[in-house]
Amino acid sequence: MFAKNQPIASQKTIETIIGPSVKVEGKFKGEGDLVIEGILVGDLQTKNNLKVGQNATVDAHIKANNAFISGKIKGNIIVKGKVEITGTAVILGDIKAQIISIESGALVQGKLNMPVTNISTDPDSVTPEETSAEPIKEEENELDKE
Amino acid sequence: MYLYIYDSFLNDKKYSDLLIKIEKRITDLGIKGRITRLSVLKNMKELITDGVKEGVQTVVAIGNNQTFAKVINIVADLDVTLGLVPVDGGSPIAQTLGIPPKVLACDVLASRIIKKIDLGKINNHYFINSAEITNGDVVIEYNDYKVRPTTLDNKITLYNFGTDQLVADKSHPIDGILEAVITPIKGGVFGKKSMAGTVLPFTKIKIGSQAEDQVSIVTDEQIIMKTPAEVVVAPQKLKIIVGPDRLFE
Repeated sequence: MFAKNQPIASQKTIETIIGPSVKVEGKFKGEGDLVIEGILVGDLQTKNNLKVGQNATVDAHIKANNAFISGKIKGNIIVKGKVEITGTAVILGDIKAQIISIESGALVQGKLNMPVTNISTDPDSVTPEETSAEPIKEEENELDKE
Repeated sequence: MYLYIYDSFLNDKKYSDLLIKIEKRITDLGIKGRITRLSVLKNMKELITDGVKEGVQTVVAIGNNQTFAKVINIVADLDVTLGLVPVDGGSPIAQTLGIPPKVLACDVLASRIIKKIDLGKINNHYFINSAEITNGDVVIEYNDYKVRPTTLDNKITLYNFGTDQLVADKSHPIDGILEAVITPIKGGVFGKKSMAGTVLPFTKIKIGSQAEDQVSIVTDEQIIMKTPAEVVVAPQKLKIIVGPDRLFE
């Protein structure tokens, strides 16, 4: 699921899976790997890896260690390591990561930021740039149309 | 000192040979103790609390999954070690703890590998393996977020240790975490079939329902509770004798 050179969580850490038949609302904070196949609205933060499946819909600001995105996301993404965006992904929001990979066919509407310094995904370390980054209103309609 | 408790269903004649063999093996291994048989007139809680007052340090329950579910709720709050002797091979609790069925379980008792394992607690009731909600019209509240199924028919199971394929090998009774598994059930041509499920680890949740009727929660295939309910993990709550073939460290 994730690149070989990225740190993998301990085998004993249980993976959180939000299945296609579930809706999560609120500030979701996870310790282990997280797989989203359903709907998540609010905020999302995990100390490990995140996978957003093809049929998933996420309306949240995201912070993760690494991310693999195939679904729809409305909100800004801050990733410590690598973001891999597949051809089916629709992202309405800014992306900040050390490595960003975008497959052809993906729709990304927002700023891409690849800083040289380490990126912090701690909840308290929010830069002014991040706080001003609300989900982009003008693109909301486009997502709704789909 | 050992206290052996035979569940009431073992009063049936078909178990007498097995019980004689178990008693003989216990004697051979030098772990003999007081034997009591449950009946309509003998209450398990009274027997155990009286035994503890008289110096019992190890309570051994002989029976099936339901026997173990009952005894766990009594010994969890006492300073005793629990041993189990399953009389059939179908107990997932015994399998996870590495306890073979029937006479072979006596050897596990004698080896005395003792582990402190977690229990789940719904309101004031403990469960060792799982709790299940079949009418899935519920809302699961975590500290900062809520989870609700979007399909009509769901099975929600709260696991202390995994027997479901989604959490097997990952969920252990010593990890200090319980897992909520939500599985949608879809009617198909050949009966009901399951779709991809949801797995959410937790230490504390609240289960509520918007349905008019209260939703039932069945713990360890035995006790029925009603929503709203608070479910927490009770870490390392139970001292239990386990076998070398247990499914955790």
